[in-house]
Amino acid sequence: MSEEILTALTQLFAIITKQDGGATEKERQYVIHFFQTELDHDSVQEYTNLYDQFSGYGTAESEGKLKLTSVKDSVKTLGICKKINKTLTQKQKVVALIKLLELGASDNNFTTRRKEIINTVSTVFNLDQYEYNLLENFVISEALLALPFKDILLINDHPPSEGVPWKHVHGHIAGTLIFMRVKSIDMYFTKYLGDEANMLNGFIMKPNHVYLFSHGSTIKTQGGDALYYSDLVANFNVQIKTTPLSFNAIIKEMKFSSGVIGLHEVNISEGPGKLIAIMGASASGKTTLLNVLAGIVKPTKGEIRVNGFDIHTQKDRIHGVIGYVSQDDLLIEELSVYQNLLYNAKLCFANLSNEQIHRQVMEALVNLGIDQRSELRVGNVLEKTISGGQRKRLNIALELIREPAILFLDEPTSGLSSRDSENVIDLLKELSLKGKLIFVVIHQPSSDIYKMFDKIMVMDMGGYPTYYGPPVEAISYFKKSTLQVDSNRGQCKSCGDVNPEQIFNIIEAKVVDEYGQPTKKRKISPAQWYEQYKERFKPIPIEDIKEQPPRSLHLPNKLQQTFIFFVRDTLSKLSNKQYLLINLLEAPLLALIISFIIKYNSAPGGQGYLFRFNDNYPAYMLMSIIVALFMGLTVSAEEIIGDRKILKRESFLNLSWNSYLLSKLVILFSLSAIQTFTFVLIGHWLLEIEWSMLLPFWFVLFTVSCLANVMGLNISSAFNSSVTVYVLIPLILIPQMILSGLLFRFEKLNEIISAKGKVPLVGDMMASRWAYEALAVYQFINNTYQTPYYSLEKIEAQASFKSAFLTDELNRKRKFIEDHLTDKNESIRNIMDKDLNLIRKSIDNDVYKTGLSALNTSEVWRLSDFTTDFNKKLEVYLTGYKMFYRDIHNQALMTREKLVIQKESAEGSQYSLTNSKNHYYNESLSDLVRNVSEKNRIIEYEGKLVQQLDPVYVEPRPTSVFDYRAHLFAPKKNLLGRMVSTYSFNILILWIMTLVLYGALYSQLLRKMVKGLELAPETFKRK
Amino acid sequence: METFNLEGTEDTPRIILDKQNGIFEISGRSIPEDSAEFYKPILAWIEAYGDHPNTSTNFVFKLEYFNTASSKLILDLLYSLEDIKNLKVEWYFHEEDEDMEEAGQEFCELVEIPFEFKTYE
Repeated sequence: MSEEILTALTQLFAIITKQDGGATEKERQYVIHFFQTELDHDSVQEYTNLYDQFSGYGTAESEGKLKLTSVKDSVKTLGICKKINKTLTQKQKVVALIKLLELGASDNNFTTRRKEIINTVSTVFNLDQYEYNLLENFVISEALLALPFKDILLINDHPPSEGVPWKHVHGHIAGTLIFMRVKSIDMYFTKYLGDEANMLNGFIMKPNHVYLFSHGSTIKTQGGDALYYSDLVANFNVQIKTTPLSFNAIIKEMKFSSGVIGLHEVNISEGPGKLIAIMGASASGKTTLLNVLAGIVKPTKGEIRVNGFDIHTQKDRIHGVIGYVSQDDLLIEELSVYQNLLYNAKLCFANLSNEQIHRQVMEALVNLGIDQRSELRVGNVLEKTISGGQRKRLNIALELIREPAILFLDEPTSGLSSRDSENVIDLLKELSLKGKLIFVVIHQPSSDIYKMFDKIMVMDMGGYPTYYGPPVEAISYFKKSTLQVDSNRGQCKSCGDVNPEQIFNIIEAKVVDEYGQPTKKRKISPAQWYEQYKERFKPIPIEDIKEQPPRSLHLPNKLQQTFIFFVRDTLSKLSNKQYLLINLLEAPLLALIISFIIKYNSAPGGQGYLFRFNDNYPAYMLMSIIVALFMGLTVSAEEIIGDRKILKRESFLNLSWNSYLLSKLVILFSLSAIQTFTFVLIGHWLLEIEWSMLLPFWFVLFTVSCLANVMGLNISSAFNSSVTVYVLIPLILIPQMILSGLLFRFEKLNEIISAKGKVPLVGDMMASRWAYEALAVYQFINNTYQTPYYSLEKIEAQASFKSAFLTDELNRKRKFIEDHLTDKNESIRNIMDKDLNLIRKSIDNDVYKTGLSALNTSEVWRLSDFTTDFNKKLEVYLTGYKMFYRDIHNQALMTREKLVIQKESAEGSQYSLTNSKNHYYNESLSDLVRNVSEKNRIIEYEGKLVQQLDPVYVEPRPTSVFDYRAHLFAPKKNLLGRMVSTYSFNILILWIMTLVLYGALYSQLLRKMVKGLELAPETFKRK
Repeated sequence: METFNLEGTEDTPRIILDKQNGIFEISGRSIPEDSAEFYKPILAWIEAYGDHPNTSTNFVFKLEYFNTASSKLILDLLYSLEDIKNLKVEWYFHEEDEDMEEAGQEFCELVEIPFEFKTYE
């Protein structure tokens, strides 16, 4: 108390005692006693003199006659009170007012004028009249009937009386204990009328003396009753009484997967309106206990029931009831303090309007004292924008805002200043008074904080419970257990402070060796404390309330959830400038680099650039696909990992996983669309690819990128660290490159995976191959040059192949058989037999029928069938065959040439075949899809002749409706019996793959597999 | 604005608040049963006056006695006068009444209004 205030109070004392007969000796003694509690010895004299001077004590004037309060004193009183108003808190003012009342009444001389002055003081102190009357009657009156207030609670052994405003509790006590609540400041005072020696916090209560009944106080009556602060509060609090909440934790044992015991038997049973601390040395299982209570970890044996509902098996009945604030930061770093809270609130309260949510958020921010910081970005630990304390408070606010009925907090005050810690615990206390049940793991609480808890649970090394009860009692308990002196007193006599450190000093006291050095051995082991605990504390399970626990949670529907997730995520991405910049610039930059490098003077003679002769084009297409895959993967690979902590918090809300994933997809797909589009735009512009190719090209890359997005999300959800994920990316990308069909030919792969005439299955699993084929075939068939001639060229190519390569091959085989017909060598005969039927299969069902019927191709040919006559027939047929197809080829060629001339000579036509070819056609691509570099134009594979040349002109021949397989660069594919263009077919396949991957993501298949793999070695070890 | 005119009694002061004629005066004894209730209309009148005050205002206190509760309301009254421009308080006291003079001085210290002290016989 400052000198100024003390002088002011002294003056007030003087003015009051001056009234109606002047200060008596008794009153003066009261004042001196007050000084003694506030001041050191020397100053007491100084202030007593001051008091005497103001009150005129001992002067003649003060003696005798009654007179009116002087107007000067009245105004002076006002002046003093105004001064006090500027310095003291409302709580301090109420205490001062009680002192004034006590002084006024100390000599049974509480006259009207004194009363008037004190009343005026209370008005200037802004105390309302009801509370003043309450205070006055509580202090002055010695008769119970004079206390007709609802804020009074009496404890005595009288039977409860009906129709009285005050509250009554039965107790084994002579006389009456009176409690008063001053609601506006949430303070409790008590006094005792009677002649027993009752103890308040270990000190005897003087009768008719007003005491402050602060947090953590206890009164013990002579009859052995104990009254705790929390019980008293519960009696006054309607909300606590009416909240239907019961919490029963019966933990028989909790073992870690390593077999070590994490918790021994602990039973905790609590109702609403309690603030409970879990304390203990490190490694004593505090957090484990909290996690088990909160239902995050399942006890090995035992159960946790909330209102009778099992926390693990009946989750749906109690969802939203439990809140959990972990020790880690669970914030979205890119969002502002306000946004963090806002989107959290939106996910919790679908029933409130935006305006209401805003108000609720602001209220939460004000409550935690972070409203001034609401617009600041949260930032991360390295890049701090708000302080550690503010981060902590924001974390708490995120849970507090939805006011769960049961709240668990893991060290909410660690890293906070003592003032901030006190604010946080104050807030929790306030919540508990609203009927919440709150468990807090706490380290080294200050005396004030310690006393605020209703109960504490003390844990000892190895998960042994050692104490469970009121906080101040704990100190007495441990002192008593070790037979220390003064064990009845938990707190300091003069200041009321408690030192919670004492508990741990006692629990962990070490045995001292003969030199007086403490050894490592403890005086009392955890197991011994536990024995005592079992003796002493037998919490009785409270009755399960068979009612749905209260909850304020109203989840939005799935679509709304998706939208909220989407907005939240988008905002957080937009605010991350680096992320945005890199992701938007990456694609055009890569396009620029690639195109710049591969654009060279390709025209014959090195004169300028011509698209037609750019040999790098096929490789460019592959690079585009790899870029799309890579961008899609990297952009998504960290998504879920980054959100994991937030997901953990939100898991208590039971939000929709699908909504969450969909919101991710919307964002990632949009980003992919932009990225691939900028890539294609720059690439096509630089390489002078015709613009009609832009959108089809983009759509393939976009599709691939989306697939990569979902793939990335899959990895992201399965692994725990971004490093793992980025190490995985090459593992995914490199097979995509190898099996794209460009770098390594599908025909020339390891025999185990290879297939001829068809893309091997392992290739079909690669997104890159589908995408590459779609691009190459589309570009080749649909470019402006090719479109008019493709169908003709197709006929030409087919006919030419048959007339040239196929007939020659067949004739060669026929010749071989003819020459070796008499050979007896078994292996040669086998070859001949095989060749014979190869010929049969090749000409079977051909359109050229002349002479075919004589050969009967529908049945298997045997070597014995091969007579001279047969040979002759076959030779004739093959000659006819060759001629037939040569004619077709020539006709098609002529038609095409005519068409060209027609186009070129058409009136007003700018058309030039070479020109068109130079701009729209690419030789290198053409060589690729026509496979001209292949020396073996025809090969034998599984009893058939397989055409290696011109794949882009050959349509696959499906063996069934479901046979989707075809050779690489086939122009059309079989989709359930219908031939569709390769472009559409491949894109469809890619989207189906995306869908399948989404299914895996939704069911967290990969995560489960990884988990399974991680567990496997352990199971092995145990066996 | 209506003139506020209240005759004094044994326990309550005489009050004239007349905007037109520029007369603002409280005089006599102030020990009403319920001071807050008594001063309520006066405070309301002054608040209304504060919205459109005269160019200058002389507020006269000529009190013989007031009790503690009244003193609080007189202070409230003085606070509400603080916002009025060109306002002056004339504090009259009986030439032998030192208490009333000192009370005036105490008030003067609590508010930011010029006080002029005058005696009467």
